[in-house]
Amino acid sequence: MSKCVLIVEDEPNIVESLSFLLGREGLEVHAENDGAAAMEQIETIKPDLVILDAMLPNRSGFDILRDIQASQTAMPMVLMLTAKGQPRDRQMAEEIGVDLFMTKPFSNSEIITEIRRLLGI
Amino acid sequence: MRKSLAGTRVREARRKSGMTQKALAEAASISASYLNLIEHNRRAVAGKVLLGIARALSVPVTALTDGAESALLGDLHEAAAHRSDANIETESVDELISRYPGWAGLLAGLYRQSKDQETAIAALSDRLTHDPFLAESLHSMLSNITAIRSTSNILKNIDDIEPEQQSRFHNIIHEESRRLSDAAQALVTYFNHASDQSGGSATPEEELDRFLRQHEYIFPELDNGEADISDILTQESMLNNTESRELAKGFLILYAKDAAQMPLAAFAKTAKECAFNPDILAQQFDADLASIFRRLSGLKRPDIDAPEMGLIVVNAAGRAVLRRPLRNFALPRHGNACPRWPLFQAFTQPDRPITALLDLPGGQQFICLAVAGDIRGKGFGTLPEYQASMLFIASEVLPVVKSWLPATGTAQKIGISCRICPRANCPVRAEPQILASVSEIL
Repeated sequence: MSKCVLIVEDEPNIVESLSFLLGREGLEVHAENDGAAAMEQIETIKPDLVILDAMLPNRSGFDILRDIQASQTAMPMVLMLTAKGQPRDRQMAEEIGVDLFMTKPFSNSEIITEIRRLLGI
Repeated sequence: MRKSLAGTRVREARRKSGMTQKALAEAASISASYLNLIEHNRRAVAGKVLLGIARALSVPVTALTDGAESALLGDLHEAAAHRSDANIETESVDELISRYPGWAGLLAGLYRQSKDQETAIAALSDRLTHDPFLAESLHSMLSNITAIRSTSNILKNIDDIEPEQQSRFHNIIHEESRRLSDAAQALVTYFNHASDQSGGSATPEEELDRFLRQHEYIFPELDNGEADISDILTQESMLNNTESRELAKGFLILYAKDAAQMPLAAFAKTAKECAFNPDILAQQFDADLASIFRRLSGLKRPDIDAPEMGLIVVNAAGRAVLRRPLRNFALPRHGNACPRWPLFQAFTQPDRPITALLDLPGGQQFICLAVAGDIRGKGFGTLPEYQASMLFIASEVLPVVKSWLPATGTAQKIGISCRICPRANCPVRAEPQILASVSEIL
């Protein structure tokens, strides 16, 4: 059974390239561009990994992360993407429980290597 | 102890006037040997003797006293403290000012310029960190770059891509490149605009200060109704950015309001008749004390005999919104003022005037009147906005105002700003002193 990844990102072109790359890794890929819809998906598909953009319209990635923790859903692995590399963002993400924090722009090989590591594949 | 150099100033002034020691001594009714000791700073000079010398030299007393260059002194001390590693001879600063006033002024001017630039850089840094447009633009550009980098990498390294998918990736690169270009162009436009707005390294407050000093805080064209505010601002070339023009406009609006409410000739006449009593002036002109202070601080002119008065107005955060220093009472250009100024005490009892006699570290004394009040209209749902105003007058004017001035008690020891204040054991010190050898000064 293939591992399941949910990409929560409002930039459709980043979603497209990431989906393509993860699909080639044999992963089941879902995508959402909105925080509220992402929570529903998490509860429904119970992903093994959530790739979460920190800056989303309406609700930030940090808010979504808190929602996941507050819900009864089993906590998936979380890889947070951000364009802001400030130490305080990284610290906040680590305090909330992010498994990995990556800043944009990242390389394909870098993100794929980290995702493989997180999922143990 | 800090050495008094009043004698050096007497000597310089005498030489300028072309008088001999003997002639000056006779004119001042003192012996030539005593004058000689004074001129070599071996005898203190004050009171009647100083007054007699000043009269004989036809110069104001303040030109000979130690506080004559207090603003310059403060700036030079602060400049020296900033380079405490340079072993600067701070004990010779008085001598530097007395003997080489031009060089001292240049040094202080360069220091002030450097401080202004530091302030401007700090403001720009703050702007770069917190500006929402910049944050949004940079986030957007990094996302564009991420998409381009990822997609182009896929196209370069993966051969077996379906033609339809390949076409979509090409479109992504095209689309993201265009968005990146647009975002970069928007940033360039933004920075060009910001650069046009800032116009130079001075902060808006510094530009306002310069503008007001240039006009000596007086705008006769508003007093006599010959010009309006927009005429003055249109002709003004010293105000290089929107913010400083807005500040100047705010000042001129108040000035014009005061001029309309307190016409200059009538105000000057009444002021002289009541010995510059703010209470009487407030009643006569139906004005609040803050307005009276503003008008009084701008009263002395070539054709109006009035004492010189300084003024500072601060908001509730302690930020100076108007500064009109006196030669002997410098107002800090950077950082906060002395917490002991009655100005701040006034905030604790709004609308209740405070009178005090102040004693500066150099020994100069000033009569001070302070009042705080809400500058917004009072009404339900209106948030108050408090400002405090402090008018200060050299204590030599005491005989003029003593008929109405309440008892001030003992002079309160104050400073200009904690950073350059030599009062070593002040219990209300808010910042560490940065002066070397401060304990020796008092």
